[in-house]
Parts: sequence; structure tokens; C-alpha cells
Amino acid sequence: MLKHLLNWFRLRRLEHDLGRELKYHIDRRIDDFTQMGLSESEARRQATLEIGGVTQIREDVRDVWLTRWVRDFVYDVRFSVRSFLRAPLFTITAVLSFALGIGATTAIYSLVDQVVLHALPVHQPERLVLIDWKGVTASVNAFGTYNLLSYPLCRDLQHQRQSFDGVFCRAATTISLSTGGDHVPTAAEVVSGTYFSVLGIQPTLGRLLTNDDDGAPGASPVVVLSYGFWKTQFNSASDVVGRKVLVNRHPMTIVGVAAAGFSGIDVGEVPSLWIPAAMSADAFPGFDQMLNRRVRWMQVFARLRPDVTLAEAQAGLQPWFKAMLAEDEQRPEFPKITPDRRQRYLASALELTPAAQGHSPLRRKMSQPLWVLFGATGVLLALACLNVAGLFLARGSARGREIFTRLALGASRGRIGRQLLSDSILVAIGGGLLGILLAPVVMGALIAFLPQGTAANALQSTLNPRLLLFAILVSVGAGVLSGVAPALQASRRSLIASLTERAGSASGSLRLRRAIVTAQIAVTAILVVGAALFVRTLTTLVAKGPGFATSNLISFTVDPVRNGYSRADADRLIRDIHDEIRAVPSIQSAAIATNPLLLGGSWNTQMTIQANQRISTDREVHINAVSPEFFTTLGVKMVAGRDFVERDTLPASEGGLCVAIVNETFAKRYFDGRSPLGAHVGLGSGPDVNAAVEIVGVASNISYRGVREESEQAYFPLVSCATSGGTFYVRTRGSREPAIQSIRAIVHQADPTLPLSPIRTLDEQVSRSLTTERMLAALSTGFGALALLLSLVGLYGVVSFTVAQRTREIGVRMALGATRLATLWLVLRDALVMTTVGIAIALLSIRALGRVIESQLYEVTPTDPPTIAIATVLLCSATLMAALIPARRASAVNPADALRLE
Amino acid sequence: MPSARFPIPQGTLDMLILQILTLGPAHGYGIAQRLNQISKSVIQLNQGSLYPALHRLEHKKWLKGEWRQSETGRDAKFYSLTPAGRKQLATEKNEWARLAGAVQVIFDEGT
Repeated sequence: MLKHLLNWFRLRRLEHDLGRELKYHIDRRIDDFTQMGLSESEARRQATLEIGGVTQIREDVRDVWLTRWVRDFVYDVRFSVRSFLRAPLFTITAVLSFALGIGATTAIYSLVDQVVLHALPVHQPERLVLIDWKGVTASVNAFGTYNLLSYPLCRDLQHQRQSFDGVFCRAATTISLSTGGDHVPTAAEVVSGTYFSVLGIQPTLGRLLTNDDDGAPGASPVVVLSYGFWKTQFNSASDVVGRKVLVNRHPMTIVGVAAAGFSGIDVGEVPSLWIPAAMSADAFPGFDQMLNRRVRWMQVFARLRPDVTLAEAQAGLQPWFKAMLAEDEQRPEFPKITPDRRQRYLASALELTPAAQGHSPLRRKMSQPLWVLFGATGVLLALACLNVAGLFLARGSARGREIFTRLALGASRGRIGRQLLSDSILVAIGGGLLGILLAPVVMGALIAFLPQGTAANALQSTLNPRLLLFAILVSVGAGVLSGVAPALQASRRSLIASLTERAGSASGSLRLRRAIVTAQIAVTAILVVGAALFVRTLTTLVAKGPGFATSNLISFTVDPVRNGYSRADADRLIRDIHDEIRAVPSIQSAAIATNPLLLGGSWNTQMTIQANQRISTDREVHINAVSPEFFTTLGVKMVAGRDFVERDTLPASEGGLCVAIVNETFAKRYFDGRSPLGAHVGLGSGPDVNAAVEIVGVASNISYRGVREESEQAYFPLVSCATSGGTFYVRTRGSREPAIQSIRAIVHQADPTLPLSPIRTLDEQVSRSLTTERMLAALSTGFGALALLLSLVGLYGVVSFTVAQRTREIGVRMALGATRLATLWLVLRDALVMTTVGIAIALLSIRALGRVIESQLYEVTPTDPPTIAIATVLLCSATLMAALIPARRASAVNPADALRLE
Repeated sequence: MPSARFPIPQGTLDMLILQILTLGPAHGYGIAQRLNQISKSVIQLNQGSLYPALHRLEHKKWLKGEWRQSETGRDAKFYSLTPAGRKQLATEKNEWARLAGAVQVIFDEGT
């Protein structure tokens, strides 16, 4: 095959040599014959006769060089290129249709690939599994994202050699890092010593972490740099090993640099360095629970043994795990729990899931929207294919005579069909190449939609070989799909019938084109309705807002514990900063919350409520600790009761009260219209919870994790002496610039080395928390508009074609007294039928497809009548406009001219 | 043409070409002549099929083509056997012998 293709490139040379070879043969034969006594011309005749036709031999030899189909293909392509150059408008329309479809599909696929599909660049990623503990929420403390286990459990799992070749654990964190100068917030991964060896990563420089680094807490103050960080921050210095860096102010030694191309196991959070779990007290300031079995903070991964399946490994773990649970329960420090909870604890089990792609909160959040968008681009591509198929059919009718002539001259039907197929594949590849040029631009725009910081630096908008392969496969696939219908059509035609037909009246192809346009309108209707739904979701959410006035509201976070402060010092610092900020004239008020709003995270737990009777909440309640004036600063109305006051912040020992504020949703769900004031609550569920905190107020609802959410919330006062860090919310007077200047000055004066998070407006934060919704709305609108454009082009083409074909008929009708309006109607009716049928198909499909996007919508169902009505009206008016142009042309036909045609 | 001459049986032309070239490199014309002489003009070579066959064998790397001066002083393309071609010839000869033997046995005893 390869050699055949190679031959194609040196065809000229081969032909030349063959010519010489044959000439030599014939000349020698001529000599033979003349020697036998024949005349020169007779000898030549004999020699030629004997060899049986030089042209035939050359053809046969060429078949040897190229094989039949390569040759035919080469001829087809040449022929296609020539005919495309003759019809530039057709070619441009077809290529652009494909370029849009393929460009968009490739761009979205690249994100799907990077976020969802891409396996880690490690040794045999398909054998990695994530170990999760199912069925237990009680008696544990957890911090981090998902699938958390404790460090001692990870160490236990490392002994399960019958299932695993190795086990490692990791936790993501942000540390304050100094490589000599400023302290900069830097992403890091806290990992067990087995991390690199289990993943199979090699060092670029020095050594990586090993089992020896899994020693006692604090015993191994070393770090490994990522290749990227070493390159950018240390200019790839070869003597970096042995240098010291400050991690949250603790000196640690660089022992090595990891391999290039490896950037951790979370696609959304790229660590700059790795810190051994033994140093977790330094990486997570104030955290001394590394060896506590009941504190879960790490994800645990294992590499399956080659001879063990996932199910076998999971089953193999259970006996040991049950024994471990039973043993754990006997430990003196095991919390006292109710028999019911004890039962649940003992029944819990470990679960393994494939983890070739690592672990990523970004993937959790983005994979569904990305698949929805990928589906939409697939539909768009299908539309582009239909459009090109329609164009080819039109061209097929116009080229009817040429095709019939070729058939009459003896070309096989298969050969003609293949010619048309090669036409469409060529157009698709042209479109694909253009699409590949477009794709990085679209990708850049897409990545800009994602939250800055995390995803933006991890995702790339460049093309890789995988992506190119994808684009090429899609192009060829699209070419084949769009070429099949016209090719079949052409090869099915009856030769005799075609030749006796008048030019341009191929009714079969028209029927097919009508079907194609109907399908296009159906697909467009689906995309337009989808776009309308996403736009409504976004506008509803924007109109709803977070439940508080965001103008003139700014926020920033300080976390002094990461800078080496003790909890008491941190509390003092934060209170000082708070007091000074409130004294600034350009600031109206300021408050602190331990957990930031609108960043997707929350502190949540079940609660126990003691009113007339004692109940546990059936869902987790979202909890925050806030300073007095939090609600005032945010402008949240108190529906009942009172806000927190200074006295609430005193510890109970100093006369402080144990009080809480709940939100309206909480009051509605658990108090059923009665007043919750005076009722008591406690954190956690079960009989051993002490419900002693009194509810003193009910606040109107505000958004906590995101704008979409309407959860039950409870607020506790920020107790003094325990405030180790938090997010400040500051309401400014007038312009915010002077306030921001003052805040920077105050924080800098309090401690010049304290890193200050960027000061953000709440407007910006609300908008950031809606990125997914905005991305879906913007992209689906773009896709809908493109789809509409493509199908209008298709519809216009078909209607124009019909009009051109029926000119004679229209002329006769008008001569017999038909009015212009009747003629107009004659043409429009056609378009209206296609539109109506298309929309009907779309509505049925939307019912079926609705479930896929339901979770991405807000307060609107996929079959929302007003949305569908608007989309339908839009679509109908657009198609009528497209049909009106050729229809007017029809009604302007002069009967005399029309009858004289042909 | 006298009908006493047989056309070359299907599929044996390649084998015959390889066999002739064991005597030494030759050009197309030479091969045709030798075939004629050796078979004492019993086998009729369709000269039209000679060149596609040569190029097929060359493509399969059983022959090597080379331009050099011929006995008449003009340049001609000489074909020579490659080691792979030699091996192929041995296989084909072996198979031919088995086939001919089997046919002979049927002729002798099949009555």
C-alpha cells in the first residue's frame, strides 16, 4: 500500500522508463522481422501486432504500480478538483459549512478530551483505581473535596498486596511559598512516599519522594518540584537540588524535579510541588491529625496487580476491611455512638472505581455541560453534512447531462457514485483543514469561559496529534455521510429515462432534498429551543441574583495560619484588621465569614432540632460562622428575630450566649410555618447530639455555594479566640477604589508578609459562579444561530430550485388567470409544509432529549410552552423569509416569457 | 500462427520468467527470445502479458531491474533474480512438481 502511494509520486519517471523499455523491445522485433525479409513498415506492423497494443500494456503495468483503486481515486480527485474550481461559490459554501461544523466539534472535543477522557501520562494508567469508603458519614471529620480517607487507612491498604501492586494517597492544597523572595500562594499536592513509584514517574533531576519520606510527622522536610515550576521559577537551574524553600514559613529542601509532562493527577489543579504527607502539619497549618484514623482528608489510589480484576480486588479487600472495622471499634478513642450508627459503621465497605484519568473536582463539575455541548456540536456537524448533501444533490441535477453522458459512454454506476463520494470527501477534508485552523480560536474562547486560575492554566488551546486524528476522522466521516445520498441517487438513475427527460426535472432528487431540508429544520428547531432554554436559565438566575445587593460590595480573604500564626495570634490579627477597616470613612460596614460565599464550597452537616419534639434534619444543612453585622453588611433582611450582636461572640464561659440564625428555607422545611425562634439546635444527628443552641433569628435566603442553590442554611456567631481566618465582606461608600487602597494599606501594616487574596467585587463573583450557565447559554445561542443559517441556506436552495423548475407551469397558471398571490402561496406552501413537519419532529425529539439537559436548567422545563412557542415563531418567520425571495421571483414571472422557455 | 503452439498456462508465466533468469540477467526482449528457443517454440508467449508480469515481479522484489548497455549497444532494462526471487522459484518448482506428479498418477491409475 505504502509502496503504491510512493509510486504515485514517481509516476512520471516510471512512465518514462516503461516507454523506453517497450520501445527497445519493439525496435528489436522490427530488426528481427526486417532480417527475416519483411519491409520496414511491414516489420513495424508485425511487431506492434505481436505485442498487442502498447497502450493496453501501459495500462496493465500502471495497475501493477498503483493498484486499480488508487489509480481510480487519483483520477477522481483530479477530476473533483477541476470541477470545484469551475464552481467556486458552491465550493466555498460547502467548505465553510464543513469548517464551521468540524471546527466547533474539534474545539469542544478537545475540552472533553482534556477534562474528561484524558488518561494520566503515567505508566499503565488503566490499572489505577480510586478507593472509596461507602456507607459511612458518621463519626468522622473530613476536609477536602470528595472520596476522602484517612492517612492511616492508606498505610493499612499498602499491605494489601494480594490486590494491589501499590497504594498512594494525596490531598490538594494551596501553600504560601517563598523561593527566596515574596510569599506567593502556590498549588501543591501533599502525597504519600509511594506516590511517584506507584504512578511510575521518573525524576528529571535528583530524586523523587520514596517510602523513607513516609516517616514520623515532621521527619522529612523535603519537596519535589514539578518540571513546569522548575523551568519557570528556577530557569531550569541544574543546581536546584539542595536549595531551601519556605512552605508556609517552614524551611524545606528541594530533593528533585519530576519528569516533564507530569502535572499531578487533577486536570483542574496543577501542583507546583509535592510535599510528603509526613509534613502535613506544615502544609495545612495547625493540622496535627495526620495519624488520626477518624480524620479523612486524602484521596487514596491503588495500582491493581496485573492478574487481578477490579471486582476481584474489591472482593479481596472486604474480609480484611471488616476485621479492621471491628478492631477499630474496640479502640479506646473510638467515639461513643448509638447502636444504629454502630451497625451502619460495621456494614460500610470499600469501593474501587477505575481512575485512569485521576481525580478532579473540575471534571465532576464540567463533564455534564461539556457532553451536552459536544452533543450540540455533533448535531451542528450533522446539519453541515445535510447542507452539503443538499448542495451536492442540487449540483447533481445540474450536472445530470454530464453524468448521463458518462454513463452512456460506459462508465459503471459504481464508478460514478464513487466519483461523487470522492467529491464530498474532498470538500470535507478542505473544510476539516479550515476547521482545524479555526479550532484553537474557539478553544481559547471556551477556556476563557472557565473560572480563571484553576482551569485556565491547566487547559490548553493547542492542537495535539490526538485532536488532529479526531478532526481528520470526523472530516472523512462527514464527507462519506454527506456524499452517500447524492452518490446513491446518481447511481440509481435509469439511463434511458434520464436521457429522455428534459433538463433539470429530476423529481426523485427533489423529494430527497425536501426530506433533507425538513431534517435540517428539525435539527435547527432542537438547537434553537435548547438555546432558548439555556438563555432563560441564565437570565432567570441573573435576575434572581444571590439574594443580596452586590453593588459596592467587595470581599477578600486572609489566612494568617498559613503564614505561621498560632490560632490565638491569628484571631487577634483578624480582629485588628476588622476594627481598622470599619474605621475607614469610605467603608460603610464590614463583616467576616469563615466560609466564602459563591465559590462552590460549603460546610455542611446534618443537624438536630429540639422544639416541641426532637428531630434530625433529613438533609445536610449548609453552615457558616459569621461576625455581627454580616447580614447588615450584605443587606440581607431579617425576617424574624434579631441579627448577631457583639455579646454573641463571647465564649460561653464569659457569658456569651449559644445562638444561631437560620434561613427562611430552613424555617419552612422544619417548622412548617411556625416560628423557629426559641427552638434549639445542635450539629450532627443522632441521640448523642446536644441540641443547646437557641435560634434567635430568621434571615431571608441568600446564595451560599452558588446562585442556583436554595438550601437550608444555619449561621453561628464567629466566636472570639477561634477565628483563625476568614473572608471579609466590605460594603463601600461610593467608589470602591479608595476603600481597596485603604484595605491593602491596613493589611500590609498589620503584617507585610501576609499574602492578601485579590480583592474582588461581589458582582464579579456572582458572574463567576454562573460561568457554566453563561457558557451554555452563549455557545448554544451561537450554535442555534449557525444552525438556523445553515438550514435557511438549504431551504432557499430547494425553493429556488423548485421555482426554476416550475417556471413553465407557473407561466401556464398565470396565463390561465392565477393571481400573483395564488402563485406566491403555491411556492410558500411548500416551505411551510417542510417547516411544520420539521418542527413537529423536533418537538417529539425534545420530549425525549429533555432529560439530558434538565439538570442544567433552572426554573424552566425542557418542554416549557412559552420557550417552544417563541422558538417556533422565530423559526417559522425565518424560513418564510428565506422562501419569500424565490417566491416573489415566481410571482413576477411573465407568462409569455415562461411559455417561451425551452 | 500454427495451432500446435500452446498458450502459457494460467499462472505459470511468473515461474517461467524466474527460471529463465537463473541463467543470468536479461531484458524483456531477451526473455521472450529465450522462452521461445528453450521451449522449442512449443509455448506461445503473449508478449503483451510479459511486461506487466515483469513489473509485478519487480514490485514483489523477486526481480531487480537495472538499466545497462545491451549487446546492440543501446540501453535496455535488465532484470535479474533477487535472493527472494530465487527462494520463490524453488517453492514454485516444488509445487509444480507435486502437481504434475499428482496429475500423472491420476492419468496412470485413474482408469
